Amino acid sequence: MKNDYNSARPLVMHIDLNSCFATVEQQARPMLRGRPVAVVNRRTEHTMIVTASYEAKACGVKLGMSVKEARKLAPGLVALESDPPKYRYVYHKLLAIMNDYSAHVRMKSIDEGVIDFSESTEKILQRDMRDVGMEIKQRLRDEVGRAMRCNVGIGTNRFLAKTAAGLHKPDGLDIITADNLRDTYATMKLTDITGIADKNQKRLNAVGIYTPLEFLDADLASLQKVVFKSVNGDYWHKRLRGWEVDKRDFPLRSAGRQYVLEGYKLPYYAVLKRLHHLCEDVGFKVRSQGLVARGVSVYARTYQHGSWHAKYMASTPFFSNQAIFAHAQRLFEQAPEGIKMIAVTCYELSEDTSPQLSIFGDELASEYSVTNAIDDINQRYGKRVIHSADTLGTGHFVKQKIPFGSTRYM
Amino acid sequence: MDDEIFLNERVEVIAAFGEGLNPCRPVKFRRPSGREIVVSEIGLRHPSAQGKRMVHIFDVTDGGADYRLEFDSERLTWRLTLEADHYEK
Repeated sequence: MKNDYNSARPLVMHIDLNSCFATVEQQARPMLRGRPVAVVNRRTEHTMIVTASYEAKACGVKLGMSVKEARKLAPGLVALESDPPKYRYVYHKLLAIMNDYSAHVRMKSIDEGVIDFSESTEKILQRDMRDVGMEIKQRLRDEVGRAMRCNVGIGTNRFLAKTAAGLHKPDGLDIITADNLRDTYATMKLTDITGIADKNQKRLNAVGIYTPLEFLDADLASLQKVVFKSVNGDYWHKRLRGWEVDKRDFPLRSAGRQYVLEGYKLPYYAVLKRLHHLCEDVGFKVRSQGLVARGVSVYARTYQHGSWHAKYMASTPFFSNQAIFAHAQRLFEQAPEGIKMIAVTCYELSEDTSPQLSIFGDELASEYSVTNAIDDINQRYGKRVIHSADTLGTGHFVKQKIPFGSTRYM
Repeated sequence: MDDEIFLNERVEVIAAFGEGLNPCRPVKFRRPSGREIVVSEIGLRHPSAQGKRMVHIFDVTDGGADYRLEFDSERLTWRLTLEADHYEK
């Protein structure tokens, strides 16, 4: 199997807007170009950096640092509060460009996506993929702005395309084929491989694998039976050789939101209001996907007593904000004092089915209609046009922040 | 952290409407103080739905500071909502 590399034509393209939010800010505000910029969720000295521009990264600024720490490394650092509508706009522009080349486009997050050209038109397939990649880069500059840059990676599977996109940041374009696969791995560290972090690194190190090339040369049986002890060993064996194993969609298993309290020692009723606000957001998220939930979990991180969580599984599904908050509120009665951060998650999600099946049919049908009517109004006239009187005023604090991760709600 | 000033000023704007990807381009605007600002570059234009009203947000610069202009497509009004300058060196 050592030479069983996928030698097909590379037709999977990964596009990655590195330092996306900072780059978009530098595009929007020309005076910021060439300067170290950090995007944060709240404009304070102690807030954590969500995205840093390349200029900031060059000074050693890393994600997760506080603005105060980062300013010691990059004295002129400009910290900006995140502006999700702007990033959503760029996301949709990028998606529209990508959709022009293939019907098989999948956005992996707000700042990266994959184009599968294998079923594209003959006209597209006749072109050199490198030219297509360069054209997409140019279109991004023409259609969004001249400061926009993206990394393009091309490979025979999603894994190699993503790996190629990370080789020359920013603004790189690389292709990994069966011919240069070994040479590419030879330039990388084990943890440069997407999906290999602390835990997997330890597993591999335990059997004497310290480099990507050693990982590539490991035999299938060892990966399956000793390292990963599951089908993941087979997946890694194929993935590293350029065979596709990641063309899968996963159903939504949970939906949640968290919020770091804006003040120290907020009274209990104020924390509860913010919890209610989170429940409204989570409820809308769940319903927007045509789902209902059976489980609610509530989490709190405190200043002195670590973290706390509690969960509840109902016998019948629920969907309304009131139902989610009623469960969350009951759980939250046990929460410790000195709370710093709160989170609410709905889980055990399933497809929405007719509420009339319950013996409480009339009540549920009525709750269903009212909830849907409120969602319709909020979608048409703006978020939170109708919300609970309890959360009046919380919108000033609990704003929608950067939509990282799933693109389901874009 | 004091490099941004959030405003809500009604401004008079001269804009060019043409073809292409950005058919509306603010060229210059006058603030209530009478100060005129000539736009040297449009950084980004993005729409923002405020309920069923569509507001087009233009992030622009005059080469000395960055500004945010908002065009309400229903009321046909322009507002200056942000001025950002004095970036620390």
